[in-house]
Amino acid sequence: MEYGTLKNYVAGQWEHSASTEVLEVHNPATGEVIAQVPVSTPEEVHRAVVAAKAAFPEWRETPPVVRARYMFRLKALLEEHFEELARTVTTEHGKILDEARGEVRRAIENVEVAAGIPSLLMGYNAEDVAAGIDEECVLQPLGVFCCIAPFNFPAMVPFWFLPYAVACGNTYIVKPSEVCPISQNKMFELLDAVEFPPGVVNLVNGDRRVVDVLLAHPDVVGVSFVGSTPVGRYIYATAAAHGKRAQCQAGAKNALVVLPDAPLGPTVAAILTSAFGTAGQRCLAGALVLAVGEVYEPLKERLVEAASRLKVGNGLDETVQMGPVVSRRALERIHGYIEKGLEEGAVLLLDGRKVQVKEYPQGYFIGPTIFDRVRPEMAIAREEIFGPVLGIIPVADFEEALEIIENLPYGNAASLFTSSGKFAREFKYRVRCGNIGINVGIAAPVATFPFSGMKQSFFGDLHGQGRDAIQFFTERKVVITRWF
Amino acid sequence: MATELNTFGAILGFAIEWEKRAAAFYEAGARNRLLATFLELAQGARKRLRRLEQARREGVAEMILEPISGLDGEAYRLELPPETDELALLNQARLLEETAARFYRDAATRMPIREVARLLEGLAQENLRRRESLDHLGLAGL
Repeated sequence: MEYGTLKNYVAGQWEHSASTEVLEVHNPATGEVIAQVPVSTPEEVHRAVVAAKAAFPEWRETPPVVRARYMFRLKALLEEHFEELARTVTTEHGKILDEARGEVRRAIENVEVAAGIPSLLMGYNAEDVAAGIDEECVLQPLGVFCCIAPFNFPAMVPFWFLPYAVACGNTYIVKPSEVCPISQNKMFELLDAVEFPPGVVNLVNGDRRVVDVLLAHPDVVGVSFVGSTPVGRYIYATAAAHGKRAQCQAGAKNALVVLPDAPLGPTVAAILTSAFGTAGQRCLAGALVLAVGEVYEPLKERLVEAASRLKVGNGLDETVQMGPVVSRRALERIHGYIEKGLEEGAVLLLDGRKVQVKEYPQGYFIGPTIFDRVRPEMAIAREEIFGPVLGIIPVADFEEALEIIENLPYGNAASLFTSSGKFAREFKYRVRCGNIGINVGIAAPVATFPFSGMKQSFFGDLHGQGRDAIQFFTERKVVITRWF
Repeated sequence: MATELNTFGAILGFAIEWEKRAAAFYEAGARNRLLATFLELAQGARKRLRRLEQARREGVAEMILEPISGLDGEAYRLELPPETDELALLNQARLLEETAARFYRDAATRMPIREVARLLEGLAQENLRRRESLDHLGLAGL
């Protein structure tokens, strides 16, 4: 086993879990077991919360400019270990190295933005709100926050939250995905090297049982979650029932609308990246192409031709363009959706199940899959497959495309490909999705913007990243002053 | 070295390996009348290597990581057998710079990330200047 049994990080110390329950972590390209991850006991989770709570009073008094220096040190270490981190992401998740590099880059960008905390944390004031009375609003940290992370961006997603939470003066606990926990473990080796005061950052491994302890714990003030819609809804409701703040980024079914005036070459390239990048396991992945009018036939042909040429294999090979999916279970679920699509009457233009990677017979590979003649009411058009399966829906016009998007239960992202400013403006104005792409297939907000989401793709009001994160991790206190 | 240069990482990886080989070539060949020029070129290759590694780390943009086609490392394959003769070494160096310029120019046109494309184009132009300095060395009667 390449990575052994993973440890928890509590109060500045690496600790073996006493749990007898241990889960296997697989390399999805080879099927091999590469690590074991413990399901931490309730006592261990409690100890992490106690450590975080104990660290809070001193940490919140630490001047923001000093807290920012921890961020600068963290950034330097992340840069230094960049390639190692990217390879770890690829090894445990399967995405190709370039995608893993992109992920680590985005994690670093959040640290860079959080390093601006001395400015970001400034409040505001007004003189003479009444005769001789001044009023000010200050932003203050709250205490212990936690993150429940998904498998699909194991290095990045906790960093949508942790840098901001900690820079604001809170203390933090990360519960990594039990499917891909290694990258976060590596990130915490760097957090350890930064030498935060003990208890400021903590990591507890485990599954839903650990989540439930965190959600019910009276000393945890807020939770950030990224994952599926059913789990997001559960976490939001449970956190609220326990009086906590919650921001829950959930599932998606993202549509890519192509108008007849879109330049086909770059449009096809962007759709390929959107649908098949990270083997479709992104909440921003394009899952439906809504081909408007006469673009349908040529677009379909070029998509199938280009997708069939994508090289599938082990993501550690730089020439591979699409890696495996994360687990055998995920593979089986995706196969199930392909069967369902056929039963529903969609036309399978490209069958990824036929793809074999000879060097890795035990890997969880599936090639790009394209369904044609998908109808909006089909399960493959409405449910999140979370795999490299793209459905094409021919539509008569722009209005029909917008109606299909409006009727989708999710509102994470949508993209439009066009040369028309008028349609682009209509699209971004009317579509109820949190992240809109205009000639961009993956509408991924950079760290200075919130990672948005609407409808059943998000539960909460403040998102991860940017100013939203600062708001989420602080509360506003208004001070009204009069001197006699 | 990857021969299919069909991803951002494959192109940058090829370039990084190229510069490592270039640095090693110039360091091994630095002697007599070639000493100063070759050491300078070796140092330049190490600097270019660092710029490329930085581009691989910082230039990667998830939003536009699109597949790349039409570039094959085989087209830039270069065998440089060990030489002791200074003129032969100089000719190898010229060929190395010419081939590198061709690779970087071709790669720049296919690179979807603008700032990395600019870097590659800049390296191609630098290779042509390096080639010119080698020509001057030859003209000076090496």
